[in-house]
Amino acid sequence: MKTVYSLIIACTLMLAACSDNKQVELYNTKAALPASAKYNLGGLKVITSFVNKTKGTASTLYGNDLALKAAIEGNKIIAGNEIFTLVTWKQQDDDHWFGAKIPSDVESVEVIKTASSGNNVAINYQQLNGKPLDLKTDTSGQAERIKYILGQKPSVLP
Amino acid sequence: MGIVLFFVLQNRKAMKTKKKPLYQRKAFIIILILFVGFVGIQFVRPDVPNLPVTGDLEAPADVKAIIQRACYDCHSNNANLRWYDKIVPVYWGVASHIKDGRADLNFSEWNKLAPADQKGKLWESINQIIAGAMPLPSYTAVHTEAKVSPADLAVLKNYLASMVHSKPADTAAINAADKQYLHWEKNETAITKLSTAANGISYIPDYKNWQPISTTERFDNNTLRVIFGNDIAVKAIKENKIHPWPNGAIFAKVAWAQLQDKDGTTHTGEFKQVEYMIKDDKKYASTYGWGWARFKTPKMVPYGGANVLFTKECMNCHKPMAAEDFVFTLPIKH
Repeated sequence: MKTVYSLIIACTLMLAACSDNKQVELYNTKAALPASAKYNLGGLKVITSFVNKTKGTASTLYGNDLALKAAIEGNKIIAGNEIFTLVTWKQQDDDHWFGAKIPSDVESVEVIKTASSGNNVAINYQQLNGKPLDLKTDTSGQAERIKYILGQKPSVLP
Repeated sequence: MGIVLFFVLQNRKAMKTKKKPLYQRKAFIIILILFVGFVGIQFVRPDVPNLPVTGDLEAPADVKAIIQRACYDCHSNNANLRWYDKIVPVYWGVASHIKDGRADLNFSEWNKLAPADQKGKLWESINQIIAGAMPLPSYTAVHTEAKVSPADLAVLKNYLASMVHSKPADTAAINAADKQYLHWEKNETAITKLSTAANGISYIPDYKNWQPISTTERFDNNTLRVIFGNDIAVKAIKENKIHPWPNGAIFAKVAWAQLQDKDGTTHTGEFKQVEYMIKDDKKYASTYGWGWARFKTPKMVPYGGANVLFTKECMNCHKPMAAEDFVFTLPIKH
């Protein structure tokens, strides 16, 4: 009988060794933007996505319908009511795929809003930095950032 | 093992009670029948031919030694069967593994794959090893020498990483992207008739209006990707109901060629493909509960052509993600 008991114990141990107790990670929590009234991605569409291999960052440019249409037309004419939002993350290795990088901590959220009054179009630019999305108060370099964002060619999405 | 144990126990009992002679006892007859049957089935042997090597994998010696040791029994034309592999019914399992293994990946017929596909297979293989899906745990339990150690894995990773070259896009890539962009910008790529894959799944043009749930830089194959989720998928993400994903959730993963600037900024170049995963645990019960499809180029050419078996390729690759409902993407929840 001893043999039988040892066999049963051995089999139970073997089966226990097979059970999968791996912790399953379901979300990329690091890359999540904090809820804030300073930006709103709701209803915005993807204009393009790009990475910077030197800086190790990944960016996605979002826009409302008017912004997307303007971007496809090369942003030659800036009209009112366009919203562009460029989110830039640091990158991290993808635990699920050796050979891939995915977004990590958010670095900045840049929001461009246009408003027309009469013949003039005002372009408002805001830069929110880091996880707390701190508003950058230094306005130098804004014109360059606006030019850069509006200069992005949309991704081909057939 | 069980048979032997049973026989021993019966024998001990017999010694105590001293009944009929051995050959007249029921237990003995049953064991005899089982034994004859066991010997009989040894002759039912599916063929595992060692086919000619048309073009073997070429890799540095240390890399190749690991691959040969861990993969070649099932993924080459030179199966090295041990005596215990040849005993039926174990042999039947071994034979079927080798047949399936060779069909999915055969290092002895490596030359039959295009260079890009060879690279793709190597990256896929290493990811299967990292995920613990390959070599099959049931196989390494017996063939312990086939196990891939952390040191082996480091050698394989280094080899693949050395194949990654990041450089600014050449004129050909820029021109191809520009040409495609002009067509798209003028709406000339609009598809009037939806193309349909062999498993009945059609291209869904609305994906571009969905929410992006993540992006990926794939340095293994020089692409950039955006993964879109439909309303059901996005709602499930918000409500923490993605384990499992609800029926009706759809992902669209779009891939573009990388177009790298001189300063390292890498933009989306030529559109390569859009891939869909459509959750329906009843309709797609036989394919892990997901409907799979891939459409290539702006013409949306269905991957796999008329061969419905293309889904097997999708499933093989996603199999290690079983605990995550077969989804690689970790969605970003804002």
